[in-house]
Order: sequence, then C-alpha cells, then structure tokens
Amino acid sequence: MQIEQWEFKDWEAALEHYFREGLTDGLPVVPPTPERVQAMLDYCGLATDDILGTEGIRHKQFPAGKVAVSAVMAGCLPEHFPVVAAAVSAVCDRSYNFHASSTSTNGIANLVLVSGPYASRIGMNHGVNAFGNGNRANAVIGRAINLLKANFYGSVSQEMDKSTLGHSGKYSFCFAEDLETSPWPSLAEAKGFRPGSSVVTMVAANAPLQLETHGDRDPEGFLTAAAHTMLGFGPRISEVVLVISQELMAYIAASGWSRAQVAEFLHEKTLRTAGEWDDWRRMDRLPPDADRDELMGCVSGPDRITVVPAGGDAGEFMALITSWGSSRSVTREITVPT
Amino acid sequence: MTSIYTLDPRDSAVASTAALALRPASLDGKTLGLLSNNKPHSEDLLRMVASIIGERYSLAGTVEYNKGGHQWPADSSALEDLASRCDVMIHATAE
Repeated sequence: MQIEQWEFKDWEAALEHYFREGLTDGLPVVPPTPERVQAMLDYCGLATDDILGTEGIRHKQFPAGKVAVSAVMAGCLPEHFPVVAAAVSAVCDRSYNFHASSTSTNGIANLVLVSGPYASRIGMNHGVNAFGNGNRANAVIGRAINLLKANFYGSVSQEMDKSTLGHSGKYSFCFAEDLETSPWPSLAEAKGFRPGSSVVTMVAANAPLQLETHGDRDPEGFLTAAAHTMLGFGPRISEVVLVISQELMAYIAASGWSRAQVAEFLHEKTLRTAGEWDDWRRMDRLPPDADRDELMGCVSGPDRITVVPAGGDAGEFMALITSWGSSRSVTREITVPT
Repeated sequence: MTSIYTLDPRDSAVASTAALALRPASLDGKTLGLLSNNKPHSEDLLRMVASIIGERYSLAGTVEYNKGGHQWPADSSALEDLASRCDVMIHATAE
C-alpha cells in the first residue's frame, strides 16, 4: 500500500492543510513526513501494510503505516509506538466494541493504561498529576489513539462521533501504573501476564471522578467512601477502574490488603436490592413482576473492578473511572523491541 | 526552495457499496418487519408506526424482533430469518 503524499512549500502550509482538512483534534499536529513515519515503523520492525488489528464490528483493518501516521501527528517518538501498536490491537477486540463506543452519545475517551517496566523506560508519568499535562509520553500516546479514531476510523467529532458532552480525555487519556511505591505485583501480573512483562489496558472510559478522603487511615473507611460514590453510577455497569494515590496506598500496604481484597470489598459494599436501585432511579424502571429483593452490585462481580496505584505522593485522593455500556477493558502485551 | 512532503492519515481503502433494495409499489399484501433495538419504548413506537401503516394499506401481517440491545448489531442469522419472512422492515430507536 502506498500512502498518499502531499507536497507543501513550507511547514506552516503543511500545518494549515491538516487544520483545513479537519485532520487535527483542534491543536496543531506534527507534520507526518515519510521519514518520521518510517522511523516509527522501523523501531518496531513493522512494514506499512502489516495489520495491527481488525476492528470487531465494521471489520476495518488497521495497517501499521496509517497508525504510524497518526502517531507522528500526535507527537510520538519511535519508542512510543510499541504502546500505540498494542493499544490498537486491544481496541480491535470485539468485546471492547470500539465502533459503538466511538459513536455513542455517552462521549467516552479511550483510556490507555500502561503497566510494566516499559512505561518507565519511555518516561511515562505515574506520579504527580498522573492524569494531567506535562509529560510527553502520556500526552502523545493517548492522543495518537484519538487521532487514529477520528482520521482513520472515521469517528470525527460532531459527525460519526455523537458525544453529547464528551470529556477532555478525548484529547488524550493515558497514564502508567505506579510500580515504584506499590506494594502489589503489577497489574500485568494480576491479569495473568508473566512477571516483568509490559502491557497496555484499554478502557472505553468516562471522565474520572475524584474523591478526597483526608483523615481516614483505615482502608475500610476510605474504601467505603469509594463504594458509596460508586452507588451513583447505578447497578451492573460494565467495569470500574479505581485509581489510588500514594498516601492511601501506604495505608493499604500497612494493612496488608491485596488488590483482589480491595475489589471484593468494593463490590460487597455496593450490593443493594433491585428495589433500592429502582427507588433511586438508577436503572430502567422495574417491571411489576420483578424480584425487588434481588441483590445487584454496581458491577457484576469483583473481577469487573480494576484497582491501580497511581498519582502523587501528597494528598489522600482516589479516582473512579467507569466504562461505557457493555464494553470490556482489553489488555495486550507490549512487544518491546530488543 | 525545497518542498516538504507529508502523508495522508485517512483511510484510502475504497468502501464497499450496496444498492438499496427495490421498493415495493404498494404495501398491500406485504409482511412488515419491526426491528427493535431494545431501548425503552422502541417496541411501542414501532407498533404505533405499524398501526398507522395498517390504516393505509392491507398488510399481510407484521413480524416483531427485538435484537436485545442497542450497542451491538443484530445477529446475522436473525437478519436472514427476517429477510426471508418479511417484505419490508422498519428499524427504530426510542427512549
């Protein structure tokens, strides 16, 4: 496949062309020269036509060359491309439902969550301002997926992307797990990958909701606060990600709680009867013959709650991130070039 | 002055096209399929539309199918079954 090439008299003309054609997210892009795109492919040993994934609903294939064009436009360096490539493979899993989540009025962003040593190798941020600005790797990897979604997949804002409100993660939503201070084995290991592996987990993610729980050092206390916040999301949503910052993780470590225990505690604390959810108007109205005493959790089980240590070393904060509709998070190993 | 060259990020693959099905000249004697996406009231809306059509034409009958959710496509086997049983289909959403 030959990627169509455009000729310009200077960089400013090139940049304005991408704006004029609606090929940016509203911010300037790095002009994707053939040399920059080739460097991206060469770093991973990929050819232009290699297919990184086939989306599960429309069966659209993602050739490495086109993915690399979006990665260059987002500002990626070649060493960022293994993460982008793994992320594309993940969203192509049918269970992620990339097509519907990219078009829905819900307005989700594609969260790129990286676990493993490759994150620190490419300088990703897992600490202060983990979800925020100021780190190139976080900013450009997340942005690459969103540019690809719009420019290649066709989910253009206000056209195929019908988000009612959207959120700022649609520019970029990407962070790494804190493996420096975490008492737990990595999320990669928790998901069954071998120790030392690096993985990317993709989540069709609503905007993060931050909780502040200063003064409560007992995990039962601050996790109860998190569980009660989850009640507002309603019953049987697909998945929840709970991000816990360092001070609270230190209390969890001191109490000896495992990652699985945290998820089980949260799930148990959100179990309510169908009648209660109905009374709170957090679900479609129950039919008259429904069992109002049936217990329902915010999610169907603790395996639908992903707990991730990340964030700064000061402040007792957590964040809850819910996933879209019936979409499942998908994890793929990052192929690290040797 | 030296030109610079950049690449097109868009999909250059040619999308496959499909022709619209032939429209019947009249709905008299035709079987009308009603495909619901399971959103609240979608079946009510479809039945209302079918009722209005039924006042204007002598339908042979209606076939209702609920695809179980708005987030996923209908099963291809269900669509094939509907295609074999219906002359025309209406798909609708509602809240």
